[in-house]
Amino acid sequence: MRPENYKPVKHPPSEEYDLYFGPNHPGIEGNYALKVRLSGDEVQHVRADGGYLHRGFEKLMEERLWIQNIALVPRICVPDPVPMEETYSRAVEILGQIEVPERAQWIRTLCLEMSRVTAHLFYFGGHAATMGMYSNMFWGVSDRDRVLDLFEELTGARVYHMYTTPGGVRRDIPEGFLQRLSETLDYLETRLPEFDDLFFANPVVENRARGAGPMSPEQALEWGVTGPNLRACGLPFDLRRDDPYLVYDQLEFDIPTRSEGDAYARTMVRREELIQSIYILRQVIARLPSVKGPIRAPLPNPLAWNLPHGDAYTRTESSKGELGFFVVSNGGTRPWRVHVRGPSQMHAVQVLEQITVGQRLEDVAQIMFSLDACPPEVDR
Amino acid sequence: MNQQNFPVQVAPLESCREPGPEERSMLRKVLDRVGQYCQSRSLFVLHYCTGCGAIELPPSMTSRFDLERVGMQPMVTPRQADILLITGYLSVKTLKRVILTYEQMQSPKYVMGFGSCTINGGMYWNSYATVKRLGDYIPVDTYIAGCMPRPEAIQQGFLDLIERIDGGRAVAWKDYYRNYDRYLGHQQHLFGRDWLTPTDVVGEAAHYRLAGDGTLGPHTALLDQYAGYHQAWGVPREQYAELEASS
Repeated sequence: MRPENYKPVKHPPSEEYDLYFGPNHPGIEGNYALKVRLSGDEVQHVRADGGYLHRGFEKLMEERLWIQNIALVPRICVPDPVPMEETYSRAVEILGQIEVPERAQWIRTLCLEMSRVTAHLFYFGGHAATMGMYSNMFWGVSDRDRVLDLFEELTGARVYHMYTTPGGVRRDIPEGFLQRLSETLDYLETRLPEFDDLFFANPVVENRARGAGPMSPEQALEWGVTGPNLRACGLPFDLRRDDPYLVYDQLEFDIPTRSEGDAYARTMVRREELIQSIYILRQVIARLPSVKGPIRAPLPNPLAWNLPHGDAYTRTESSKGELGFFVVSNGGTRPWRVHVRGPSQMHAVQVLEQITVGQRLEDVAQIMFSLDACPPEVDR
Repeated sequence: MNQQNFPVQVAPLESCREPGPEERSMLRKVLDRVGQYCQSRSLFVLHYCTGCGAIELPPSMTSRFDLERVGMQPMVTPRQADILLITGYLSVKTLKRVILTYEQMQSPKYVMGFGSCTINGGMYWNSYATVKRLGDYIPVDTYIAGCMPRPEAIQQGFLDLIERIDGGRAVAWKDYYRNYDRYLGHQQHLFGRDWLTPTDVVGEAAHYRLAGDGTLGPHTALLDQYAGYHQAWGVPREQYAELEASS
């Protein structure tokens, strides 16, 4: 018996439902959430929900001295902080017309490539962890720690180095450092076949990652994809070769590409890039002892360091993609406006919303991680 | 927010005095000792990375520094976790989630502030988007200084927390019940006067007899607009005192 005031309620079809994916979730790369609309376990619609890590960097930088901002910029992207310092420093150098000594340029290149190695090792571990393969995560994290130890010796800090400053680098490389770096690279090379056995050539990984979150080259160009994610679609675009900065025009390296554009291709491109980074580092190690000279151009008193009117845009190939800093000066001791063009914002918001549609729920974490987006940089 | 804005007369909850350690019976002392020993040696850390400090957690948890040695593991659900680790700065949006998460966790629960940002704002001391002092919003047991704290510092912080739990000194979670009005006031200052969490903290304080002088106040009086929202204990707020007296 139904009561007199009974009114049937119209529900949406029960197999469709909303799922809040995060901000605490298995695709964990930071504090970042997705609102997923599911039908069964198939994703119908995705909205990115960011803003958990917003700190207002671009505003904070306007209130600090040119040199003080060096302490702030690496915190924009946590796993790969060196390109941030380097790109900002280069913008300040263009504004102030500072000539960077050659030795400092080589040391900066060394730091950039070491940072790329750490970021990629962390990525391998993280991508495996999203599939539940935790042994690979343990390996990736512990191998990354070996490079972090070298960073600690060089800069004094494990994660936030604040080593590159406008005009050069903070201090010279310690004695015997290049030898130890070379040994670490040897070790990483011997580890790669083991990583292959466990992860890259593992049929379980291949079956899971192949076809997950595919992009076509046209879509990638339209959505503003850069970096390894673009090269996984078959487009050999790399700023180190196409718009060389520092000493990259004197170095030899390949630009690895894959044509599939799915999660597996993105991982394999990063594996090849790790090999290329080791190759670049070996060239730097061979060349650096013969480059003599100062490591820093003399700077005026930072409290009264007025940069002339003007603006500068610099860009770097970070491990995530193209990273740019647009810095405007109005002749003061502080920037008038800074804009950060981060690669992750494109990847984690517009690309992720598109490529997860039609995929299965258990692959969402994997696709999210395979784009290697960095949430602190998305929100800034 | 001063007292004049809240002309509400608040009847205090009947507070329950906790017996001091020396007043307890021998059996209670032995049971407490065993309980604390067990608690301190099996801790689950909630795997919620609120800020950049999360990058040093994988090295601390995995093979190199290996926190499993001291009985710690990450845990994905708040209801089964013991430690809430606040890894770094908190934006206002994250703080809401942190408070909801904290109130979901089961007692005894411990909060660890990680990095300078939770202590005084750190690098973002003048940011418009972040919270400067974590201790205003939820009670914190220990802090680890540094930006970013090294894995060794994290380990030392955890060992310090274990020692405090073992000695029965990590009781910040009780402070949340005893001084709920103060914490709620800070939360309302940030989120507005209509701020409400799904957990009935006042009801829990009465139920577990952890209410103190600061449990009710002008800020909790604002929660009366949601009277009847919390059905957790099925008892109207006016009858809390009776409930306490009868139990």
